[in-house]
Amino acid sequence: MFMNRLRGLVALGAMLVLLAGPSLAEPAEGRAEAVLQGWYGLVLQLVRHTPTYSPPVASRSFAYLGIGAYEALASGRPDMASLAGQVNGLSPLPDRMAGAHYDDAVILHAVLAQGVGDFFGNTGPMGQRAMQVARQRFGDAALSGVEAAVAARSIAYGEAIAAHLLDWSQTDGALPIVNMGFPFEHAFGRQPGSWVPTSLVRQQQFPLLPHWGETRPFAMAHGQACPLPPPPAYSEVQGSDFHREALEVYEVTNALTDEQRAVARFWSDDPMLSPTPPGHWVAIALQLFEREMPDAAFQAETLARLGVGMADSFIGCWASKYEYDLLRPITYINAHIDADWQPLLITPPFPEYPSGHSTLSGTAATVLTAAFGEDVAFTDATHERDGLPPRRFASFHEAAAEAAVSRLYGGIHFRAAIERGLEQGRCIGAHAVALAMSAGR
Amino acid sequence: MRSARLLAAMAVLAAWYPHQAVAGEGPLVPEFIDETQASGIDSVFEGEWEFMVGGGVATFDCSGNGFPDMVLAGGEAPAKFYRNISDRGGELRFAAEESGLEIDHVAGAYPLDVDGDGIMDLVLLRVGENLVMRGLGDCRFEPANEAWGFEGGDAWSSAYAATWEEGQDWPTIAIGNYIDRNEPMEPWGSCTDNWLHRPASDGAGFAPPLPLTPSYCPLSMLFTDWNRSGRPALRVSNDREYYRGGQEQLWHMEPAEPPRLYTEEEGWARLRIWGMGIAAYDLNGDGFPAYFLTSMADNKLQVLADVPEEGAPAPRYDDVAFARGVTAHRPYTGGEIMPSTAWHAQFEDVNNDGFVDLFVAKGNVWEMPDFAIRDPNNLLLQNPDGTFEEAGDRAGVASFYTARGAALADFNLDGRVDLVVVNRHARAELWRNAGGELGNWLQLRLEQPAPNVDAIGAWIELRLGDRTIRRETFSGGGHVSGQAGWWHFGLGAAEGAAIRVIWPDGQASDWSPVEANAFYRLRRGEPPAAWRPG
Repeated sequence: MFMNRLRGLVALGAMLVLLAGPSLAEPAEGRAEAVLQGWYGLVLQLVRHTPTYSPPVASRSFAYLGIGAYEALASGRPDMASLAGQVNGLSPLPDRMAGAHYDDAVILHAVLAQGVGDFFGNTGPMGQRAMQVARQRFGDAALSGVEAAVAARSIAYGEAIAAHLLDWSQTDGALPIVNMGFPFEHAFGRQPGSWVPTSLVRQQQFPLLPHWGETRPFAMAHGQACPLPPPPAYSEVQGSDFHREALEVYEVTNALTDEQRAVARFWSDDPMLSPTPPGHWVAIALQLFEREMPDAAFQAETLARLGVGMADSFIGCWASKYEYDLLRPITYINAHIDADWQPLLITPPFPEYPSGHSTLSGTAATVLTAAFGEDVAFTDATHERDGLPPRRFASFHEAAAEAAVSRLYGGIHFRAAIERGLEQGRCIGAHAVALAMSAGR
Repeated sequence: MRSARLLAAMAVLAAWYPHQAVAGEGPLVPEFIDETQASGIDSVFEGEWEFMVGGGVATFDCSGNGFPDMVLAGGEAPAKFYRNISDRGGELRFAAEESGLEIDHVAGAYPLDVDGDGIMDLVLLRVGENLVMRGLGDCRFEPANEAWGFEGGDAWSSAYAATWEEGQDWPTIAIGNYIDRNEPMEPWGSCTDNWLHRPASDGAGFAPPLPLTPSYCPLSMLFTDWNRSGRPALRVSNDREYYRGGQEQLWHMEPAEPPRLYTEEEGWARLRIWGMGIAAYDLNGDGFPAYFLTSMADNKLQVLADVPEEGAPAPRYDDVAFARGVTAHRPYTGGEIMPSTAWHAQFEDVNNDGFVDLFVAKGNVWEMPDFAIRDPNNLLLQNPDGTFEEAGDRAGVASFYTARGAALADFNLDGRVDLVVVNRHARAELWRNAGGELGNWLQLRLEQPAPNVDAIGAWIELRLGDRTIRRETFSGGGHVSGQAGWWHFGLGAAEGAAIRVIWPDGQASDWSPVEANAFYRLRRGEPPAAWRPG
């Protein structure tokens, strides 16, 4: 249902037209919310269909776009504090002209049109076409009923905000993403237990984005602001903690229940085949917006905090991954337990500890709990169109816990990476929650 | 008596031929000469986003002289037909002719003698209504949709395969359709229905097509007897860019029953790639086809994971592309480091050493900056140990145009496989294989009574020393490009071979000796008949 709504971007365009149609004397209410959700719906598609969009890269774009959406609205509201000076390296944004009238929906559209166009400038031909149509349709609808001078001023202002943020983004050390994030050389660890490639794909013989942990974070002071203890000491001795963890993966995956299999598939969130794990959590937020119908300011703030938190979670997680450089279950189990064992999920091409989805989900649940409250039950239909039925959760943290343990069912992570990943994620999420954004919210 | 001597000589060759090949310094690299300019071929596959996939070529003999003629898809421009006017062993020469095929919005083409009258027909895949074109003789064609009850529909067609199902007088044609071109903002997940055109129940032409759902935006299809059951299944390679919940597919094709997908319970494993082309050949000598699947970045080479001593194999495949050296994931020349984009793929023995080689057409989808823009075609030569090595640049076929469809065929009947490649927004290219010290060869054409006169779905087996080389005579696969006519084999140093045909109904011919460097017509129930051009 939700994803069918997201699918209806064309329908959303039509809704925008109705909201702001020529029969209305004044610009209609709800345009800003519709603009925000329309663009985010498209972004989820573009994340899935842009080849460089591995989960860390996706999280980065969600952070910048979320901040852009937030700043678009915060610039005109005294109860919303700019993130300039709060997140690393962001200088004060352009101010609105004193006394001049602006239209928030138009500013929001201008920021997102510019931002989406920039972050997804490398997408394929059909994505380019979709962005072109979106710019036209959403733009026409956002502008409808808005006085020409106000519209022009708002567009120019939105573009100035976007330009400022895009300039800032260029200095975070994340770019360029070449060869879909896979380096052309890598200094492999030489310790027993060091990560080794697990894929038959030539491109994946070197690990994904080995320097992502050095990227400038947003709300954390640095990438290792939420450090982890080391994983259980590597050992090939039966009965050792490490061997026990590997044996658990082996035994659990050999006796998967249908429910466990469904859980593993639901949270698999493979790049290029889904909106990725951070996109999955954005989709959850959008489903909550659809149900709760909060105003645009709340939505923008939530998307900004979520984006910031998720981007930081990948930076922190990646810093730990390459610090500990641990091998994957398939490597260990095939060598020491069962040479023919295969996991349910495709093993990701980078070190194991901690689990990225666990860190991310710990962060996302922390942010969304802060936004919507504890014990907010919801149904997640993110993958409905891909044939995976919706799942129901009693809280965001319950969903995060399921996302985390799905990696054990999938056979791609040991338990320590899952549990400590969640802890790391909650720590990172707290940095995003601590940002001073809206007064009294 | 002569045959017996030939077979005895072959037995002797068996002892030394493979060793000789191993002792060399890699496979012999053929010399391909670009004869596009002088050949008379002047065709560009043009068009905007609706033509970002496609751009095929069909090669077939419609003049009856044994030389392959061709039709090239033009995209928004009309397709072009070229009559082959090459001399045997000479430079490649073609003459553009009006043929009735000058039709726009053609994305791909496959030859198929649909009505079994011995005159080649064509199936044109279009962005719009697909057309079956009846051959009238001497390379003239006319639309036959109405006459044959073929509903061409209105879709973005991007894949084709044909077979003759058991007991049918007309072929079954599968058509793959791509995204809904009326969904500009939501192309993803808009894959439109594939169609299965089965024969009409009254035995005349085609019934209304069955939707072959779920449909996942295929860019290649192939009816192939993957398990040697005698009944081809439909292999479909799908573009993951646009489907939801999709994967590669294999359909059971039981006579008079709806197609049914192979399942995980049967051993089919989920694979999700940017599927763009299929090439098939028995690479292991185990009697079963291996499948090369083109994609973006890494390509796949699938071989059966387990071939049981007895009983049927499960449709479970190992990807051996990395091990065999055919990932072809990145340009090997030209300086670009971004991943490649692969389209048409075809196995042929281009150096006639008895080990089939692999050609892969490469080209960026459409200015995608994360993939190589200057993406050279691959010519991967097989070593006797089953690995392949890149020789596209050394052979002279490492074009940097944006390739799509292609065909490897012997255009001047000199026994060396030549090459034509369709390029998007650039002129199609034609190379003559000028050889070098290539090995011996053999070319065969299958003939049987109507309806399936070209014996689509047969297997040709060739004994070469202690090896048996097998290839399936299919109609489909590649990337919107198909061929009919001679089936080529390289023989290495062997001066003859033994051949037999497993006809589509499963009946096997006797083993027959044939001499190297010759053409044979294999008429069902008759010994091989030597054929000479002219």
